[in-house]
Amino acid sequence: MTAPLLSLRGIEQTYSRRNASGWGSTTVRAVDGVDLDVFEGETLAVVGESGSGKSTLAKLLLMLNSPTNGKAFFKGEELGSLRGPLQREFRRDVQAVFQDPASSLNPRMTVETALRFIVKRHALRSVSDTRRFLAECLTRVGLNPPERYLDRYPHELSGGQQQRVAIARAMMIAPKVIVADEPLSSLDVSVQAQILDLMRDLRRSTNVGFVVISHDLGAMQSISDRTAVMYRGRIVEIGDDIYARPKHPYTKLLLDARLTADPTRGRIRSMAPAPSIPPLATTPEGCRFRPRCDYAVALCETADPILRPMHSGQTQVACHRAEDLLRLFEIPGGGKRAPSTGDGLTA
Amino acid sequence: MNTSQDSDIPASSSQPLLLDVKDLHVHLRIGNQIVRAVDGISLEVRHGECVGIVGESGSGKSTTARAITKLMPNVSLARFSGDLRFDGLDLLAMADRDLRRLRKDSGFSMIFQDPLGYLNPTQRIGKQIGEAVSRDGGLSREQSVWSLLDEVGLPDARNLVRRYPHELSGGMRQRVMIAIALASRPKLLFADEPTTALDATVQLQVLQTLYRVQRERNMAVVIITHDLGVVAELCDRVYVMHSGKVIETAATQDLFARPRHAYSARLIDLSTHLNPTERYA
Repeated sequence: MTAPLLSLRGIEQTYSRRNASGWGSTTVRAVDGVDLDVFEGETLAVVGESGSGKSTLAKLLLMLNSPTNGKAFFKGEELGSLRGPLQREFRRDVQAVFQDPASSLNPRMTVETALRFIVKRHALRSVSDTRRFLAECLTRVGLNPPERYLDRYPHELSGGQQQRVAIARAMMIAPKVIVADEPLSSLDVSVQAQILDLMRDLRRSTNVGFVVISHDLGAMQSISDRTAVMYRGRIVEIGDDIYARPKHPYTKLLLDARLTADPTRGRIRSMAPAPSIPPLATTPEGCRFRPRCDYAVALCETADPILRPMHSGQTQVACHRAEDLLRLFEIPGGGKRAPSTGDGLTA
Repeated sequence: MNTSQDSDIPASSSQPLLLDVKDLHVHLRIGNQIVRAVDGISLEVRHGECVGIVGESGSGKSTTARAITKLMPNVSLARFSGDLRFDGLDLLAMADRDLRRLRKDSGFSMIFQDPLGYLNPTQRIGKQIGEAVSRDGGLSREQSVWSLLDEVGLPDARNLVRRYPHELSGGMRQRVMIAIALASRPKLLFADEPTTALDATVQLQVLQTLYRVQRERNMAVVIITHDLGVVAELCDRVYVMHSGKVIETAATQDLFARPRHAYSARLIDLSTHLNPTERYA
């Protein structure tokens, strides 16, 4: 296997927050010891509930946060010590797209002004050639004809168009990977499908990789090569078939929590009340998922499970009982992945 | 689901409607343009029924709910017409004072997507729920608050009433909103994207609570959502909205089995595409 583009080793990020009373403070371990490799050209999804540390992980990958502990590497070089050309290369190769496109575009700049800025900063094109280049960039993200969008301000665009501009901006300098933090969650379903299609097209035509942070497992299933599931600051499962063959009880819980557009199933009507979720600051001894786990045994109370490979496939799981649970969790008729071509999505 | 439909539909034809909206137009003046946010829709809600209004952003679904509850501050109306009847009362002709009484006691309530925007950050939860309680003889205000918190699935009420909104999680805040909404013993609850901001696992719990409360109180609920999953789980009937108009209305199972309008079919298609495994499960 080729060397990873980005890798994290034992990375930790803690935030402290003053208590409501004003006395003392609480430390939250947002990311609590994560090892992760991101390879060129792959689409890696990171899923989990809010508070699982997935956005913090994105910030660490982008070097917008410096980790409390652990190391992050870009092409084998440690991120914190990057200087000079390699640092510029990092900033060029790793680009970001955020959740709310409106707030990541300057409201006082037209699309053209905002994008010109980057052309100039990275000396991508000569001044005379810039407008043509910008038109190309917008066409590539499906904003056609580009002249219609260049002179507009962000507020004159719809949410989907804004997100396309944000993606165009990230794509301009031909990055190796785009870290996208919840790029879909502020968009309507039909627009979500279009943005997913756009991401697939860009991968095919430019071989750009994506790290997509999302809470939407359905959408991630349709575009990801690999998926990492985070729970309370740790990766509890990572692999290429977590949707069809979940191995961690938390992955299973997330998959089961998806609402199906199928009224004949009516799960809410028949479901037993779900257990409540323990507060963030308390991390129990042993397995951190234990308080919400239906399958916990004595071992789970004492030993904190680490991420380990399963005997088959490339999946890694942090659960003592992964082998036992594997058969239990198998989704009937599963194992097939949804077609990744997105046929019919933009009908 | 089957049982509720079997028993509801024959009875309902003779039963008077709880909410009867006919030909509602809400046109907003924005700058020098007129936006036809709601453009001639009609809808009916019966006692104890759960009705969904689905559509994408800009379809007018939230404006519809705000128009019916007459919660439309700071908008310039170019046109607001139609026939709005709630429990036999004409809402359009009603004086503001009577409308307030209707919101306060046994009328309608509303919950929204972001509870933090509607809870007072400087007041304890208990006080905010207590303010909304309509007195009913039997229980003291304090006891009413406790029983409401218990009803929406928040145990340990004695501790919780002393908390401020920022100390609660998103799911707990939405439950507090539901408790406040229930405090006036409404006949109809409007829920505008009640679980959109929540995690999937929490969404499931809140929807579960909403469903249980609706059944136990025999209260009518109108859920406004863009998520057909929510509709499929909870609603007896659905209105599909697109650019200010209702383009299709049907019993939930019929809509999913045989959508008549191409737009509804596309919405259903998209939500199954975005949840691919479900086709195999």
